[in-house]
Amino acid sequence: MTQQVLAKQVQEVFARFSDGVVEDQRVGYQGYIVAPEHLLDFARALRDECGYDYLTTVTGVDYLADGKMEVVYHAFKTLGGPALEFKVQTNRQNPIVPSLALIYPSAELQEREIWDLFGIRFEGHPDLRRILLWEGFYGHPLRKDWKEPYFEEVAKPFKSRFPDGKVYRAEDKHPLKDNIDFPEGFDPAKWEAEGDAALYKALTNIPGADEPGIKTEQIILNFGPQHPSTHGVFRMAVLLDGETIVNLKHVLGYLHRNHEKIGERNTYIQNMPFTDRLDYITSMSNNFGYAVAVEKLMGIQPPERAEYLRVMMAEFTRVISHLMSIGFLLNDLGAFFTPMMYALEEREMILDVFEAVSGSRMMCNYFRFGGVAHDVPDYIFDKIKGLVFERLPRRVDEIDAYLTKNEIIRARCEGVGVLTPEQAIALGVSGPLLRGSGVPYDIRRAEPYSIYDRLDFDVVFTEHGDVYDRYLVRLEEIRQSIRILQQVVKQMPEGPIQIGKSTYQVKVPPGEAYGRVEAPKGELGFYLVSDGKPNPYRYHVRSPSFVNLGALAPMSIGSKVADAVVNLGSIDIVLGEVDR
Amino acid sequence: MLSDWLYVGIFLVIATFLPFVAITLAGILGPKKPNRLKSTIYECGIETVGETWVQFRAQYYIFALVFVVFDVETVLLYPWAVAYNQLGLFAVAEAVLFVLILFAALVYAWRKGALRWF
Amino acid sequence: MNATLVIEWVVKSLVIILVLTGGFAYTTLYERKVLARMQVRRGPNRAGPLGILQPVADGIKLIFKEELTPHNADKFIFTVAPVITVVPALVITAVVPWGREISLFGRTFTLYLSNVNVAVLYILSVTSISVYGITLAGWSSNNKYATLGGVRATAQMISYELALGCAYIGPILIVGSMSLVDIVEAQAGVWFIFLQPVAFLVYFLASLAEVNRAPFDMPEAEQELTAGYHTEYSGMKFALFFMAEYIKMIAVAMIGVSLFLGGYLGPGIDRFPILGPVYLFIKVAVWLFVIIWVRATLPRIRYDRLMALGWKVMFPLALLSVMITALVLLFVES
Repeated sequence: MTQQVLAKQVQEVFARFSDGVVEDQRVGYQGYIVAPEHLLDFARALRDECGYDYLTTVTGVDYLADGKMEVVYHAFKTLGGPALEFKVQTNRQNPIVPSLALIYPSAELQEREIWDLFGIRFEGHPDLRRILLWEGFYGHPLRKDWKEPYFEEVAKPFKSRFPDGKVYRAEDKHPLKDNIDFPEGFDPAKWEAEGDAALYKALTNIPGADEPGIKTEQIILNFGPQHPSTHGVFRMAVLLDGETIVNLKHVLGYLHRNHEKIGERNTYIQNMPFTDRLDYITSMSNNFGYAVAVEKLMGIQPPERAEYLRVMMAEFTRVISHLMSIGFLLNDLGAFFTPMMYALEEREMILDVFEAVSGSRMMCNYFRFGGVAHDVPDYIFDKIKGLVFERLPRRVDEIDAYLTKNEIIRARCEGVGVLTPEQAIALGVSGPLLRGSGVPYDIRRAEPYSIYDRLDFDVVFTEHGDVYDRYLVRLEEIRQSIRILQQVVKQMPEGPIQIGKSTYQVKVPPGEAYGRVEAPKGELGFYLVSDGKPNPYRYHVRSPSFVNLGALAPMSIGSKVADAVVNLGSIDIVLGEVDR
Repeated sequence: MLSDWLYVGIFLVIATFLPFVAITLAGILGPKKPNRLKSTIYECGIETVGETWVQFRAQYYIFALVFVVFDVETVLLYPWAVAYNQLGLFAVAEAVLFVLILFAALVYAWRKGALRWF
Repeated sequence: MNATLVIEWVVKSLVIILVLTGGFAYTTLYERKVLARMQVRRGPNRAGPLGILQPVADGIKLIFKEELTPHNADKFIFTVAPVITVVPALVITAVVPWGREISLFGRTFTLYLSNVNVAVLYILSVTSISVYGITLAGWSSNNKYATLGGVRATAQMISYELALGCAYIGPILIVGSMSLVDIVEAQAGVWFIFLQPVAFLVYFLASLAEVNRAPFDMPEAEQELTAGYHTEYSGMKFALFFMAEYIKMIAVAMIGVSLFLGGYLGPGIDRFPILGPVYLFIKVAVWLFVIIWVRATLPRIRYDRLMALGWKVMFPLALLSVMITALVLLFVES
């Protein structure tokens, strides 16, 4: 692939680092390899001088054969345009990389994830603890030489099951003895969690002197994992002074299944239904992101009709997701389920469409590399028309009329959970959260994919950055999505829905690719590394909910308990995607 | 008159009886299989850390102080309201003055910033 | 003082308590049905026709539940707190008249338990006691959510109590008596809701806060404090809190109806005094419907906002209403 043409000031920055920053020469790779000692200066120059202020993705790759580990960064300009990709390489024995958390706060959570899964230490990271796995977990599972319990083979299909077709669960075959690798002197029965101690230490470690006034004591309170309004098994540990939040740390990983490791065992096509399970509300968008990434790697383009079908499904998904988000936000505000039930009613209508085209209401598994799986049956087309031209616009207006001007909603949401544009960009948040803070950044416009450059719609943004604005952005985005849907339905071309013939096995040339789409919750990116085999060598999901959660603490510290719950609701997380 | 209070007294006794009967009945009929985990405190599945009974910061402390003053003053309006018909103009002037003082105190507390959370 | 009189009191007390507890059971069903209808659902419809046996099933379930007490709770207060909450809720209804006198079995009964001459003051003082129950329940659980809930209950009480107290004064001024029987009888011509609209509104809002109902259900705020003050309660003790809330709902509705909506009065009441309770409970049902409707519609307000609302809006408004009433009365009389 060809390197992108760089702007003048970027070339100047590169010139300054002469031998510290070199182009990645491997076949199929892009970007630049930065020497670790230059990383901080390089990143600062990139951010301050070149306008690459929006670092969205940080991930690692373990090149076992080369004895190297690599940290991969994708930085963007908030003005739009393609990524500037840069990498840092380190050895496998004692991997240490300088932390970018102070330059790009968005890296903080993702570096913790890399430390957790790869064991790469980040020097200068403010709070380097495990994030998805529990403290005390043995090993770092995304390293290529790490083997899970009941390990059989590196890649599917496993010989025990294919081609003979014997199906049994691996854990039935292996009693609790094989392949379970405890550290020396470790007794699982006597083990006690040490993670919480580290968490509470980080929680109570706050700079700043005691305030004068009545002497009171602070309490530590856990919200979650079993809590009605954490949207799943999410936990936030808060330090409270009365009802005011002094500090907040969130704890993830209760739903962690190491999606990425499983994804590396799977073949490319086997991952398609697996992406459905990320954000289980927006499976079509997840499919879209994965398909875009793999197609980028394969260098293929789906036919016209397939693109229209894809956009149609993705926009329907956006309507669903935003409706549910508004419903659940109201639920977090304490409205007794009524707005949510109204939102769910519309969702059912759209799920009918999904069921008709894909056979499944939630886990759609509809996209294929170079097309989609099935064409839209004729009988459902009338329903789609009825939805996008009549029912949905009417219902959105209805929700608008009920909620937008409500006094209590405004009192509870306006000025709550404020995120300034600078903060939002620095934290790398995306989607309605970013646009609610006044940054008109929408991947459908900033780096158009599929047919979005031909469609007519506005990027919605508001300027206050509070919970109310995020609500408004979501509401307006539903309208814009309906606008897109109307165009798509009108312009829907005839033709094939799949390039070539559909196969179980796709040939993916070696190389890397980062494909991203504007999922309802924000930037959903898939970073793939292929070594030419049927399975991805590296399969990384940059999930919007995970990164957006980084904004929870800055939004909530100093506010009341009730507001923290609303802030969380306004971020709109789905734990399937956060924990992966 | 006194007998009216006696009725209320009898009612109070019977009414107090009800929850005790309910608790005792449930205590007899309900199963009892205690274990250590069941009797732990619910904090979303996490073991609680630190003391719960601490010097808690009641952020509305000043409110509470102001409240005591105002509550007593409001109660003083009740006998006045009952006897209002017999009192005539003078009582009205008195009460208006009284309420104005109340108002002034409220405005003062408001301006002093007592009526906000901190 | 004779035996029949004592029996009469006891029977009356038992009738009131049974009606209230039965009313509590069916208010839960009523609420669930109404909420379901407002939320495009059906609501309970499996236990008996239209789900009318649902409260019975719930009651049986709660009796046969195991009761758990946290090991480091204050066990005595933990047990007593639900009693402290539920008794005042029952007792306030003692002074609410259900009707006039009726003749039955050759005797003349008054359809109220007692006609206390300071009924309103009595209501005001007794209702405040149940806040102790909630606060103690929250504190004694030794649970942080519960403690926060208990503290919020106190915060809430000092927010609405003043406005509530002032809302009572309007009707008292007009009638010149604190007895609820007198107040109801004085509304034979025109209901006080038309003479005291501001007081009525203040009373309605403050009473929502009083019974911890949406949008003022901060002490239990499910989304924030999981279940607030009764997080640790289970089985019958939990049921008692539940019962207290619903009985109090009925009680404030009865009081509100008596103060502003003409109580047991209605067409034909002079000829058929037995219609009194019927009118009363129809009005109460309408009042409860509005409370449920509010719950289905509005999100929860934040506690500091409630305080601001109580102190900066409702209290001055109620005081103003009292003053205007006094001046108008003076004008009318002279």
